[in-house]
Amino acid sequence: MSDNLSYVQISSSVNPSFWNKLSELKLNVYKLDESKHSIWGYHTIINSTSCPITLMEVDSTSFNREFTAHNQYLPFHGWILNTNTIEQFKECDKVELINSEGHKLYQHIINEDVFKDTSLLNRFFILSFADLKKFHYYYWFSFPVPRHVVVEKIDACDLENVFSPEEVETLHSAYKNLDCTQRSYFIVKKESGKMLEICTLAFQLKSITLEDKDNYYFVFHNISNDKNAVGSPFRNYVAFLLYYCDFLQNKIVNFISFNLSRTGSQVTCRKSIVYKLKLPMKTKDFYTSWVGWEKNERDKMGPKLANMKNTLDPSVIAENAVDLNLKLMKWNLLPSIDLDNIKKTKCLLLGAGTLGCSVARTLLGWGVRDITFVDNSTVSFSNPVRQSLFTYQDSVDMKSKSKAAADNLKNIFPGVNSVGHQLTIPMPGHSVGESLLEQTKESVKKLTQLIKDHDAIFLLLDSRESRWLPTLIGNVENKILINAALGFDSYLVMRHGVYSQNDTIQASDHPEGCKVITGNNLACYFCCDVTAPGDSLKGRTLDQQCTVTRPGVSQIAGALAVELLISVLQHKHGVLAPAYYSTAQTVPMQEMTASGDSVLGLVPHSIRGFLSSFEQILPATEKYKNCVACSDLVINEYKEKQMEFLLNVFNSSKHLEDVALLTEMFKDTDFEEVLEFSDEDFSA
Amino acid sequence: MITLDDMSLSIEDFNRCIEDIVNTSDNLIDGWRFEQNEELENGKYIIKKEQKVLSQDQEDDINHVLTFEYHIAFNISYGVPVLCFNVWKQDGTMLTVEEFWKLNERFKESNMYDTITQMDHPVLRRPFFTLHPCRTHEIMEPFLEESKNPVVSWLTVVGPFVHLDLNEEYVKMCS
Repeated sequence: MSDNLSYVQISSSVNPSFWNKLSELKLNVYKLDESKHSIWGYHTIINSTSCPITLMEVDSTSFNREFTAHNQYLPFHGWILNTNTIEQFKECDKVELINSEGHKLYQHIINEDVFKDTSLLNRFFILSFADLKKFHYYYWFSFPVPRHVVVEKIDACDLENVFSPEEVETLHSAYKNLDCTQRSYFIVKKESGKMLEICTLAFQLKSITLEDKDNYYFVFHNISNDKNAVGSPFRNYVAFLLYYCDFLQNKIVNFISFNLSRTGSQVTCRKSIVYKLKLPMKTKDFYTSWVGWEKNERDKMGPKLANMKNTLDPSVIAENAVDLNLKLMKWNLLPSIDLDNIKKTKCLLLGAGTLGCSVARTLLGWGVRDITFVDNSTVSFSNPVRQSLFTYQDSVDMKSKSKAAADNLKNIFPGVNSVGHQLTIPMPGHSVGESLLEQTKESVKKLTQLIKDHDAIFLLLDSRESRWLPTLIGNVENKILINAALGFDSYLVMRHGVYSQNDTIQASDHPEGCKVITGNNLACYFCCDVTAPGDSLKGRTLDQQCTVTRPGVSQIAGALAVELLISVLQHKHGVLAPAYYSTAQTVPMQEMTASGDSVLGLVPHSIRGFLSSFEQILPATEKYKNCVACSDLVINEYKEKQMEFLLNVFNSSKHLEDVALLTEMFKDTDFEEVLEFSDEDFSA
Repeated sequence: MITLDDMSLSIEDFNRCIEDIVNTSDNLIDGWRFEQNEELENGKYIIKKEQKVLSQDQEDDINHVLTFEYHIAFNISYGVPVLCFNVWKQDGTMLTVEEFWKLNERFKESNMYDTITQMDHPVLRRPFFTLHPCRTHEIMEPFLEESKNPVVSWLTVVGPFVHLDLNEEYVKMCS
């Protein structure tokens, strides 16, 4: 009892470049054209040992007019029908489609096209829909073959059992000399006492008769990697043979399942198999009923979806590349760094000048995705050379700085979520007249909301008093506040302490000669000053009003401000991270970096740098109980009276000194003496 | 000549080596082929595709048919050949570097993270999985004098890490 010959289904393998090319053609050439376009498929001529599945590949060269693939491939002839809508993709009649494909193949058979190019029997068809916005490709391959081709396997044996080694060699070298259009299917003629002849179908087929059929072997290049089965296109070969040799119906016929394999460095056809197969009778619908839609990954008849966003969408490629850079840091250097924590930290940058630009760029480098700018001015002609997010054109267009910074940040990295707000921050001592009252209230509300909506607030403004309101609100909202200020050749970068946290973090052991201040006890920018911020721009000369600094200072300070934030974020206690400071000259700070609390080392309270000597120090200061911005006195007053209190302060900074009980203190102090000690904010 | 010192591979040497590889490959029908960007000094590189089935781990019986596309290009800054590759599934979606590591857990001990990373292809300037070039010179050094084709000698050492096995015919080119 003999078995029927079993067929191996072809599995499609799409190279990413195929989708890329299809998108390009759809956009530039096909557009809304919904006709079928001819394409090439490829099957390797040497059967793979590393992959048991029979694959047919398509790639960008599939769309070439001529078959130009490397000598290792056999061609498949195919078509692609790319629909304009997903509905058309779903609704088109799949049975009709494959039958019409089959009919085309039948036409090739009866037109004798197959004699010219036997690989026409290796066919495929792709129905697709490309969602180019999402880079989603819906697709369904079919490899049309006639439905009713049941072939009985009478006998199967190794090639070498039928042919002598010389004949096998003849077969192989003749194969190599065949044109690639003739390699898929050809004929071997073996008559006793005669040399083996290898002929094309065109040359030989029509002269074969029922009487001498046993002298012929019908060769097919078997694309199945399972040598006991044959690739499904074999059915097309049978359909073709029975069309021209009607008399072979129900007869036993010789076939060679041609197989090229590699043994060591040798490529041989010795693993080919010789079959005696009983061909079927042609049914009435033999050439009209076709099958061959590919099953999907769930082994069901249905389309597949390729989501190519990661590969083809340049903005996604950019995002992944940025993330990967950071992950390499994690994998190679700092396994315990928490990159997600950084990525999800929402940053509010108050001031979009030299510092704001520098901070934003460094945040991008760390993978921060939410960056909001607040500024009240427009890009001036002097800005672009120092402020790294602006261009000359922004000055010409007089774009608002916050908007230009946000837009340009997105140009640099489209994955960032960046917004700019044009807003003047109300300041102590800048009196609010009747006309400005509503606007000021609105500004306070807006700023308060922005601070609430973000996790880290950067104070990068150019005047001292504009930092007062955000310091106060940020403190009340318990946000991380990072402050940066510039002198001509000096800078100050510091973090603010947080408002009355109940639990004090006990600082871990620290070396002798060091002191420690807990995170809720650290000073804010205003703690070190004993006067309320007033209108500091009043009475200043021009060079004092614009920040005149050495150009590198803002880059340094901006970068440090971000690194300080990152160190806070990576510290076990976050915003409550204690700050150490050296009290003895003998203890170098570097020795204190080893701490179990943070992978990035210690988290200073403040960093002061001096370009005149290229030196940097890390002082830490305790909160001042009469501070005009962060003392309980001020915060409680603000909590109680809200807008009324703020308006009073805006109208007169003296009010702030009253609330902070500074006025009282001044009465008992020799003011001249104090001033002598209260040096400029950030000079040495 | 870009040679830093006598003991490094010049672009000319590299181009000669990959040319020999392609010639041998053509005889073997092994699939290596040339690509070139003529605008670049180091524009020549070779490509080969191979399908493999790798199973993820014990719990996952699904066999993944993966296409590996290997590229051998020249990195000018390191003065060494670079083995880049991309891996995709049957639908054309690429493996991420994490997914690739997962499939290669047996290499964990040799510190996969340092060895295989994602870098820009020296010619195509797109991210590819890459055998990190920083140790390549170290591996290549003994071959520079001894081997007639140092690129092949180096590939026989590093190829197995990325499932790239070279036919013995290539090895014969080295002596």
